Amino acid sequence: MQKPAPLGYGLGLRPIYFDEIMSTRPPVDWFEVISENYMVSGGKPLSMLDAIRADYPVVMHGVSMSLASTDPLDFDYLAELKALIERVQPAWVSDHVAWTGVHGLTLHDLLPIPYTAESLGHIVERICRVQDYLKRRLVVENASTYVSFASSEMSEQDFVREMAERADCLLLLDVNNVFVSSFNHGFDPIAFIDAVPVERVVQFHMAGHTDHGTHRVDTHDQPVCEEVWALYERARRRFGDVSAMIERDDNFPSFSELLDELQRMRDIDARVAAERASLSAA
Amino acid sequence: MNLAELQALFQARILAGSGEADAPLLDALRESQRGAAREELLGVYQSGYRVRLESFLYEDHPGLRALLGDDDFEALAREFVEANPPKNRNARWYTTGLPDYMAAAPQWRDDRRALSMALFERAMVDAFDAPNAETLTLQALAGFAPEDSPRFVFEFHPSLILLELSAGTMAAYQASDEGEEGGGDEALGEAEGAETFAPDANETVAIWRCNEETAFRELEGDEYVALNEARAGRTFGDICQMAAFQQSGEIAPERLAQFLASWFEDGMVVGVSLRD
Repeated sequence: MQKPAPLGYGLGLRPIYFDEIMSTRPPVDWFEVISENYMVSGGKPLSMLDAIRADYPVVMHGVSMSLASTDPLDFDYLAELKALIERVQPAWVSDHVAWTGVHGLTLHDLLPIPYTAESLGHIVERICRVQDYLKRRLVVENASTYVSFASSEMSEQDFVREMAERADCLLLLDVNNVFVSSFNHGFDPIAFIDAVPVERVVQFHMAGHTDHGTHRVDTHDQPVCEEVWALYERARRRFGDVSAMIERDDNFPSFSELLDELQRMRDIDARVAAERASLSAA
Repeated sequence: MNLAELQALFQARILAGSGEADAPLLDALRESQRGAAREELLGVYQSGYRVRLESFLYEDHPGLRALLGDDDFEALAREFVEANPPKNRNARWYTTGLPDYMAAAPQWRDDRRALSMALFERAMVDAFDAPNAETLTLQALAGFAPEDSPRFVFEFHPSLILLELSAGTMAAYQASDEGEEGGGDEALGEAEGAETFAPDANETVAIWRCNEETAFRELEGDEYVALNEARAGRTFGDICQMAAFQQSGEIAPERLAQFLASWFEDGMVVGVSLRD
């Protein structure tokens, strides 16, 4: 399978860091932008995006394609997305295994679905239509969920694997989301990672979450926790050279703290690569 | 229950909160492996929805929050979110309906200061990401013969918004903005905000984007009229005549020339042409 070339270590581009990025040109290999934030007519957000795009690879990450919604696909939204893709020329475009609303509403959240044959057929058909419209393969991310459904007929990882195969789409593996959902629903996160098809994963998300004791919520307002770092190492061993990044959306730390998290990724990957090299030498 | 029915129930729960109608949805959920009640887990979505939408309002309306005080602003945000489930996929547009909501809501429509502040802050947001356009300097007029000046027609930056507000709105906004920049948690108290307002008096304001930053300044009444007319496509000559009429001949032509110069200097003008 033809996959986009790996980009290295990236960060989510957030306005709070614009000036620092522009003035210091930090050692970040690429940036991910939230597509919807740049679906505007003009002004500083777009000009900053253009400036950063001139110096860095960029990928576009959407939060409201609502791939699993039973509402009709929103082609006005997709037309805006397509126009932004033309402008940015991203390495790839992603969204989620989720829905954001029905009956014409959009709740600005990534809502869960039951993992059934009906849901699978529905989302596969919509991913295919979006790919046809955008004329590119979509990258689809596993979301964090807080409830699960009695009607589910398969595990989330089986759903994701089957979806990717049937829609012939690529995957964004959110390692933190795997951990959060596995905690909330009591499944084995390693089994999830081991079931995801290697050849379809093009990106990792890493992020922090909030621990409420009986459940964890994907808040992106904390550093990555140790359990997620351990899972990251597992994912890296399985998926090899995949673009990886840190998402931070609230409780913003100094930019250097995010760079430290990127460095930790690099250190883990160097260790994994060294182990691999010594094994193959032996 | 099919996927469409499930999504309808799930959305209704988020919008309306818990109630008797939840029973089929609760039945459709698995028990938590960690001992969390199903209602509590649904509450993650329900509270997340409200907090997220209210945060958009807090972000776009710091001046209104300072003016109303935390309790009243929180009540307004809660009411607005309750009455306005979002329809646009881009969160950017969620708060744009706030001034219209306030103007129609019995509990807010008579609060002229609050309405003015809401309008002002909406304009600030709209100017921020309005379409781009290259601005002109006064030098752009150098290519025209002096006798052509009555036929000048100007095109203004797409971000330019002119508003007639309750007097004191800009000062109250600036006070709240300075309070924020000072790093203090203290919002502008209602009484403090009230000091800047003059009951029943108006101020006229231009809001636009210049060098990628949102700018605003007060316009004197005659400049407001002149700029409104210029933006509507009237020639400079027509505006001069109109100004002379309105001011019973007392307006100095130099004053209109000063207005014109300031529009260029402020980065409001993006085009000049001659009307045949």
